[in-house]
Amino acid sequence: MPPVVQVNNLRKRYGEIEAVRGISFQVETGEVFGLLGPNGAGKTTTVEILEGLRKADDGSAVVAGVDVFADPSLVKRRIGVQLQASAFPENLTAKETVEFFAACYDLDVDALALLRLVELEERAGQRQETLSGGQRQRLSLATALVNSPQVLFLDEPTTGLDPHARRNLWDLIRGIQSRGTTVFLTTHYLDEAEILCERVAIMDEGRIVALDPPRKLIDDLLARGFSKPVLRQRANLEDVFLDLTGHQLRDA
Amino acid sequence: MRQTARLTALLLRAYLRDRIALFFSLVVPLMLMVIFGYLNLGDFGRVSLAVDDQAKNDASKQLLSLLKGIETLQITEESTDEALKRLRRTELDVLVVIPKDFAIAPARPGQTVPQLVVYGDDARPQQVVVGRQIIAQVIDRLSFAVTQTAPVVAVKDETVQGVRLRYVDFLVPGILGVNIMQLAVFSVAFALVGDKQRGVLRRIMATPVRIPNLLAAHVVTRLFIAAGQVAVLLLVALVLFNVTIVGGLGALVVVALLGTILFLTIGFALAGWAQSENQVPAIAQLITLPQFFFSGVFFSKNAAPEAIRPITNLLPLTFLNDALREISVQGASLWDVRTQILGLLVWIVLGFVMAVRLFRFERF
Repeated sequence: MPPVVQVNNLRKRYGEIEAVRGISFQVETGEVFGLLGPNGAGKTTTVEILEGLRKADDGSAVVAGVDVFADPSLVKRRIGVQLQASAFPENLTAKETVEFFAACYDLDVDALALLRLVELEERAGQRQETLSGGQRQRLSLATALVNSPQVLFLDEPTTGLDPHARRNLWDLIRGIQSRGTTVFLTTHYLDEAEILCERVAIMDEGRIVALDPPRKLIDDLLARGFSKPVLRQRANLEDVFLDLTGHQLRDA
Repeated sequence: MRQTARLTALLLRAYLRDRIALFFSLVVPLMLMVIFGYLNLGDFGRVSLAVDDQAKNDASKQLLSLLKGIETLQITEESTDEALKRLRRTELDVLVVIPKDFAIAPARPGQTVPQLVVYGDDARPQQVVVGRQIIAQVIDRLSFAVTQTAPVVAVKDETVQGVRLRYVDFLVPGILGVNIMQLAVFSVAFALVGDKQRGVLRRIMATPVRIPNLLAAHVVTRLFIAAGQVAVLLLVALVLFNVTIVGGLGALVVVALLGTILFLTIGFALAGWAQSENQVPAIAQLITLPQFFFSGVFFSKNAAPEAIRPITNLLPLTFLNDALREISVQGASLWDVRTQILGLLVWIVLGFVMAVRLFRFERF
């Protein structure tokens, strides 16, 4: 299988700021790939270039077999996206929102089946703006899947969600991967990357500073003689929170 | 086509669910109409009209008796000098001078046509407009009576008999015009700037949707809403105020839709230009408010100061209101208002160019 995303020496600057400074990497078909980094590292810019939303200054990018710079429209047909801080048209129900995006791709879809996939079937008739944060992220996943994409781009999908909703979303992402979709994820939650991703690239100041499976990155670090100064806790506050408030998703 | 239709169906459904938008597109215009029409705030009672009959022949007597039969007019006969004095004191609205050579006969080649001189009081423009319109129609009727070639004497005759211009008859086309403007400019600008700010447009841009189809869906949605709005307003005008609509409804709708398209392009341009939702009301008011007052909505467009009239006469809403009013009040056909339609088309082209140049899908 050829890599589904292939990036070579990608560069992008905004005025004085060089947001992406010549990065190269590839994403294998079927994996969950994580792009990590602190805020302002250039993750979102990179992803938006791959999604055909932004023009790069230099380099090349092939996504799902399409040169992104040559045919951004065809790339858009083959990928699904969940943008950071985006919203849906107002006054539409969840089902109509999915139908709206299906219309954008000029495809007929079974909107209810997609909502079922993200556990929102019973909210089909509810206005999307009245959904909870976690529900809206799930709806966002459903709209990103209307075209059965080869690659699903998720830009910080769990930001702002409570621990239950995060875990629920992780399950959904794994489910999507298990049906053969490659998932390209950006996040600044390292636990999320560790749990979900087969491989991660760590980005800082526009460069990729490491690219490996999470386990290997950790082992390498330990091999360099690193050790945490405090004793490892056997549980943390999040475990307490989940234990007290239950592991079930509340808002479904 | 199919994509546009699907998107339109969804956008229309969303729009109809938006109670606030519906309120502004239906209730507010109705309120305006009721306040100005039912309470007769703008009622000018009757038009006082003086006639200086210098001809004193059969034709002039015929004209005079026809004018006297129209209840809107309050007619006195006096000399030009006397009447002009009273006109300047605003005691009189209109003075009609019937020249010595006045005759109602088909014009012969090489002969000058007798000219009626109509003086109007600048301070009472609505009355003057109504007065002038009535005189023009009476003259039309007399002319048609002697012109054998006139094919539509009967229809024209009825029109003249029906001349009972009340303020509300004058008002309704203006209300239609101003609401078309408000709906198109505000609803598009608010919706699109809001969508832009919240990242909706950005999310849509991540799909391969064809942009012209998306924009067309927004336009068609508003055309449906505008058509509904015009229908409701006309219905209320007809039922509640017994408004006389002389011209064809078809022509009225065509002009209304042209006006909608025009103001939609301006709304798109505004949405492209505005940086945030907060700027929209300010800019939209800046665009619409002058037209509200100077384009003949509640008062004749001649109420605008003489000095700026060359400009106010070219405002988009002036063209729209003039066309709507001439169709509604004077029974004009689309061909009769071709000048105004041309004006609307020129504005549509300008608006379209502005919209295309200014519209951006991203925040900045």
